[in-house]
Amino acid sequence: MAEVKPQKVSPKVWDENAVARHRIQWCPGCGDFGVLAALKMALTKLEITPYELLMVGGIGCSGQIRNYLNGNAFHGTHGGALAYALGAKMANPELKVITLAGDGDTFAIGVENFVHVCRRDPEVLLVIMDNGVYGLTKGQNSPTHGRGMDIKEWSEESPPPFNPLRLALTAGATFVAQSFSGDPKHAAEIYAEALQHKGFAMVNDFSPCVTYNKFNTYDWYRAHVEEIPAGHDPSDANAAWDLLNDFDRRGRLPLGVIYRNPRQRTAHSRLPMWPEELQDADVRPLLQMFR
Amino acid sequence: MVQASGVWTGGLYLRQPVGGEGIASVIVNHLKLLVGGVQLRDGVVTVSDILGRIFTRAGFHVLAMERGYASTIYGAHQYDPIVVAEEPPVSWGDPEIDILVALDYDSNPDAQEQPNRDTILRHSKYLKDGGLLVYDSSTGDIHTEALERRGIKIFPIPARNIARDELKRDVVKNVVTVGALFRLLEFDRDATHLRALLEERFLRKGREIVDLNLRAAQRGLEVVESVLKAKSWTNVGYRLEPRPTKEPMLLLSGNDALSMGAIRAGCRYYAGYPITPASAILEFMEEHLPKFGGRAMQGQNERESIRAAIGAAITGVRSMVGTSGPGLSLKVEEFGVSGVSEVPMVIVDTQRAGPSTGMPTKSEQGDLFLVAYGGHGEIPRIVLAPATQEECYTLMIDAHNLADKYQCPVFFLTDLNLSEGRKVVPQSFFEQQAVTIDRSTLVREGDLRRDGTYKRFVFTPSGISPRLVPGTVGGVIKVTGSEHDERGFVSTDPATRKAMMEKRARKMETYLKEDAKPPQVFGKPEGKPVLVGWGSTRPLLLDAQQRLRARGTETAVVHFTHLWPFHTAAAKPLLEKASAVISVEQNFSGQFADLVQTYCLIPVCRIVKYNGLPIYASDVVGGTEQILRNGTQHVRVGVEAPAPVKVSEGD
Repeated sequence: MAEVKPQKVSPKVWDENAVARHRIQWCPGCGDFGVLAALKMALTKLEITPYELLMVGGIGCSGQIRNYLNGNAFHGTHGGALAYALGAKMANPELKVITLAGDGDTFAIGVENFVHVCRRDPEVLLVIMDNGVYGLTKGQNSPTHGRGMDIKEWSEESPPPFNPLRLALTAGATFVAQSFSGDPKHAAEIYAEALQHKGFAMVNDFSPCVTYNKFNTYDWYRAHVEEIPAGHDPSDANAAWDLLNDFDRRGRLPLGVIYRNPRQRTAHSRLPMWPEELQDADVRPLLQMFR
Repeated sequence: MVQASGVWTGGLYLRQPVGGEGIASVIVNHLKLLVGGVQLRDGVVTVSDILGRIFTRAGFHVLAMERGYASTIYGAHQYDPIVVAEEPPVSWGDPEIDILVALDYDSNPDAQEQPNRDTILRHSKYLKDGGLLVYDSSTGDIHTEALERRGIKIFPIPARNIARDELKRDVVKNVVTVGALFRLLEFDRDATHLRALLEERFLRKGREIVDLNLRAAQRGLEVVESVLKAKSWTNVGYRLEPRPTKEPMLLLSGNDALSMGAIRAGCRYYAGYPITPASAILEFMEEHLPKFGGRAMQGQNERESIRAAIGAAITGVRSMVGTSGPGLSLKVEEFGVSGVSEVPMVIVDTQRAGPSTGMPTKSEQGDLFLVAYGGHGEIPRIVLAPATQEECYTLMIDAHNLADKYQCPVFFLTDLNLSEGRKVVPQSFFEQQAVTIDRSTLVREGDLRRDGTYKRFVFTPSGISPRLVPGTVGGVIKVTGSEHDERGFVSTDPATRKAMMEKRARKMETYLKEDAKPPQVFGKPEGKPVLVGWGSTRPLLLDAQQRLRARGTETAVVHFTHLWPFHTAAAKPLLEKASAVISVEQNFSGQFADLVQTYCLIPVCRIVKYNGLPIYASDVVGGTEQILRNGTQHVRVGVEAPAPVKVSEGD
């Protein structure tokens, strides 16, 4: 299927089978617009067709992105996106599977899936639209809330912000990157690289909520992000930890690929599904064990 | 029926003196053994597995439907009742046993002051007068006067001492017991069957292991001989003459059968999370599904399992999950996803006693409401419940076809005893099933009009919308658990919502018209009391029906395998003519009775049992008579206080 590419993908193809641009239900200036633009750029660059694409959206503003561009889409329960993506990719490795969710979906209610998908390492791209709030429910704190704030004391009710990159590395993710939707061109380069990774690729994208997060604004991010130095070797796990420690010490947020190291993996083909592939399955050899 | 000795045609005979003709034997057809001991230590499963397999090969029917184990690894009491019969037994019958085999050789942590008496104390109440007791006497003989007065013949076998001291291998103690039992059954005197089984298992480890085990069996036989001689017992025990078998017979569990059924039906993705009693499905699928090009995954939790399975199903692969009550509770959120996003899903629930963790190793039928009603909002769903191992196979094939056609969750309700209980089924049963894999609701690339008019959730008279899967060139699908329009875009438009709810609901009307199977009817319900049941209780109801008939009460049995949506059109005309409708269920409230009452507008009496033990035929006979004579509405059986057990004078 994947080899049938009817024509070279033009950027316009992404506007078909999608919600019309003027009906997009994000606040003007939402960081998710940057992710959408970057995603279309990356998909166009890699000549991926909408037919082979499966986007799994999380619950929240960010998950709506699946309907704002062409391509197959699924949307289920809060926190479940990565697990659906895992099953879909296992069943049909010919699909390009992208999970698009927020930091609440991924690191609060869905952290059980995130941790183990890092270990399982399916060829799935996860873009987290990280804004520090639950926007759709009007601005409650999400796991990355408080980033950069000078919090002297925290409590059970108000814990300090969560660090997605450190969890990803700890859990064994083989591709860990960070992008900023205020710079969609750079983000697109990272997505494109992530899409070519032979394993689970996690990109944490700073995607400001212009309505409910008045602290981590575009300007705040611009003042705090910093591209990873060209000399960084992403295949070196120790270097990745050193880099995070160095950025944290300096109060800076790295943009770029922090870690990239594909595992050995067994190639699978699409699981049999058509009657002609299934009709003649012979279970008789199984019967012998019951004699 | 009496036969003189010497004209054996194969069968199961009780040795007893008949008239003045000397030794003759009565055909008894039916024999129930119970093997008990300390879990993991005493080899209860080893012994019952050897017996089950060998009796099956010798042409007998074996039924081991009741599972007596504990939710611990080591130390608790475990027991395995096994029915052996010439013809397929109608049901697992009653708690009464003919032969009690107590493997405990030392104190059970539960019964420290009574070394090696635990199994006997627990089960001798049900040992028939004149029955046989075989126990491990390695830690001393037990005073059994009270049992002897009931005519029970006692065989102390120091199996562990023989194994440890004479044969220098503790583990062969189980085979010592098997040898003793075979002598009491006059079965396999030349060890043909035992040798074959031992060679299959141990020959690759060396001939000496096989020989050691055969010596162990011989020693068991010798101990029995010496007891018989010392007591001058000549007509004791049974004679189990191997029966000629026309075809190979299999001994398998409901989990085995439904797993094979799923593979035969084309299920190629399975996800599960370890849980009793569904774990065996996961293990089966992990071992065998890859041979058929499929994949099986142990989820990191119950939710990952079903979500991954839904993910696989989106791509078009036939996909299934299996779990039990606590796991199903965790999966409830995804019922709605499958229902609204119209992604087919087969969900096996091997019911165990709830609520919460409940009694993990005890059977119950308590999840009917959870599968019929569980989840917020309303979705189309189908609930199936097989009655036997055979139906675990055939109905599972239907389950996958129905999930495909109606694009909704299909629940497959078994219970612990059906899932893990074993039964003899002819091999040809599986070989002769004609299987159709119906995937006609899938849209293929060639069928797709390339004009962009394809709508995943198009309104149709049947409610069924042709399903495109991702990867098909020329079309894409937008699928969501949120309410949506025909193209799958989220919508809260009142007209769209109304039409979409009705489209999904229409699928169940189509199901009731085209695919729902009416209940099976045994006997004529008109003017008679009708015993209603669902799932694994059918054999038991038929057994109870026969017994009630023998006691002068004619009943009909109406048994359901297709539970939901409730098939009112098929059920109501049957039940409204009955003189009384009695639902027999293994739960507290009578959940199915509530469904029947709601949909048929007929008052339904209930016989319920919820103490963890199977419903026995005698429970149903007693309960039915209570309802018919006293007008009782709700009979709870198995709730009386346990009677004191007397084994020795001191008890």
